[in-house]
Amino acid sequence: MVSRDEIKHLGWLSRLELTEEEISKFTLQIEEIIGYLNKLDSVSLSEIEPVRSRKNISELRKDRIEPFRADPLEGSKNRKDGFIKGPRLN
Amino acid sequence: MVNLCSLTAEQIVKGIRNEEFSAEEYISQILERIEKIDDKVNAFVVVDNSGALEKARHIDKMVRSGEDGKDLGSLAGVAVGVKDNICTRGLRTTCASKMLQDYVPPYDATVVRKLKDDGAIVVGKLNLDEFAMGSTTEFSMYGSTHNPWNTKYVPGGSSGGSGASVAASECAISLGSDTGGSVRCPASFCSVVGLKPTYGCVSRFGLISYANSLEQVGPMGKTVSDVVMVMNSISGIDDNDQTTVDNEIPKYTIKPSGNIRIGLLKEMVEGAEPEISKCIYSAMDLFSSLGCECKETSMKSIEYALASYYTIAMAESSSNLARYDNIRYGFDLSSDSYEWNAYFAKVRSYLGEEVKRRIIAGSYVLSSGYYGKYYLKAQKVRTILKQEITSLFKSFDILIGPTMPVMPFKFGEKIDDPLKMYMVDINTVIANLTGIPAISIPAGFSKKLPIGLQIMAGEFQEQMLFDAAFLFENTANIQRSPEL
Repeated sequence: MVSRDEIKHLGWLSRLELTEEEISKFTLQIEEIIGYLNKLDSVSLSEIEPVRSRKNISELRKDRIEPFRADPLEGSKNRKDGFIKGPRLN
Repeated sequence: MVNLCSLTAEQIVKGIRNEEFSAEEYISQILERIEKIDDKVNAFVVVDNSGALEKARHIDKMVRSGEDGKDLGSLAGVAVGVKDNICTRGLRTTCASKMLQDYVPPYDATVVRKLKDDGAIVVGKLNLDEFAMGSTTEFSMYGSTHNPWNTKYVPGGSSGGSGASVAASECAISLGSDTGGSVRCPASFCSVVGLKPTYGCVSRFGLISYANSLEQVGPMGKTVSDVVMVMNSISGIDDNDQTTVDNEIPKYTIKPSGNIRIGLLKEMVEGAEPEISKCIYSAMDLFSSLGCECKETSMKSIEYALASYYTIAMAESSSNLARYDNIRYGFDLSSDSYEWNAYFAKVRSYLGEEVKRRIIAGSYVLSSGYYGKYYLKAQKVRTILKQEITSLFKSFDILIGPTMPVMPFKFGEKIDDPLKMYMVDINTVIANLTGIPAISIPAGFSKKLPIGLQIMAGEFQEQMLFDAAFLFENTANIQRSPEL
């Protein structure tokens, strides 16, 4: 059972401003979706390992300099004195 | 003047090289066609007229100065459309989302760079469901793309623009991305060829992430050989994508081949609408008549695939989309009068409905207390699917079935019922969960709407897919482009 409060709380954790109408709609729809995902309960999985990446994570690329030939932050509209400006932290 | 737009990539490359027509003539015709018909199709979200013409003139200059084929590039002059979730330097890349409405990437995705290096000409960016989340292209801030075979119907999704543009001859080839069927679904609905390569075969650098353990960039074209040409350009290891694999992938070829061991997946045929099953059985008969050994087979774990897929896709999307804070890139909204959290909640309300739904459902399955019940189980189901399909590939070279369980449907039919919409991905998600390659090729029509045949093979067995697909295509000769 998915509750309105849960959806509201998850919305907040995901930093999504939801309208009352959205909360009502998502509560019903996500309840239905989660209900479908409960199918996973019916399969016995105790002996099975979860899937893992094929590659060993320590395979890193060579440590050499590859200059990036553009300004990676040129898309930012919030710039001041060469810095990126964000909202204030309370 | 002959109509150059309907030519395949292979024919265009030859025509330009042999100076039967110039790249400029060809690209001009493509741009005119987009101008003329894209009002009806709505496949393109940005068209780069001047950039494309400039590249075409450059290629013509090289041809006239007698450059040989190698210097020209294997795709010299070919018009390519790129799904708008793949970064193109200097060309707006929005994911069809208001969140990224002003984003102009400072770099090319590896796949785009490789295509350009081989002489392909990017004519524009293609419509999609917002952040590639959808199966119809209805969830786009640009409005839906229309199916060129009947504009009242959806083109499939999420790479709807990539499928429709090729079918409508607005470009010869296109790039899409496939997380749970997003290349193969529109390929099936629009009667073109679309490939989801083996995970790790093609770089994802510059593909805007949705669910990164599942997705691959995939080519679309009118013919199997066009898709092969694109794969020869874009595949291979990339320093910028740690998941790409160096397995010394040889050049793929097109060769007639019989004697393939084929398994028809019973669950997929039984789950499809009757006209689709009929078409797939005829496809099997055709393979048999060409000397292939065909048998019906079964894959029991298919039953759990969709629940596993949506758990993982939503979980990964909730974490991938956390990066959209509108600070480093985004639209114009000053953060001056906002507190930290309030600003993020405000700007993120620009995300569309389906995206929000998946982020919240994804956060739900990852919540403490639910992690073991959903996410961990979904990953274990993935292991079971992989084990079962690997054992099937001991008896069969390829597995076939319908790409889609349903015929193309009308706009609005499933948009208010998310779960009903998710169900159409049932046959395609297997390849993403297990990492294997899968291709959709045109198999026939019912009531003038296309049906696609899906072929799956073992990891890195793309050549086997191409052999089987080419064998079928060559004999079945299914119509590609509709009149528009």
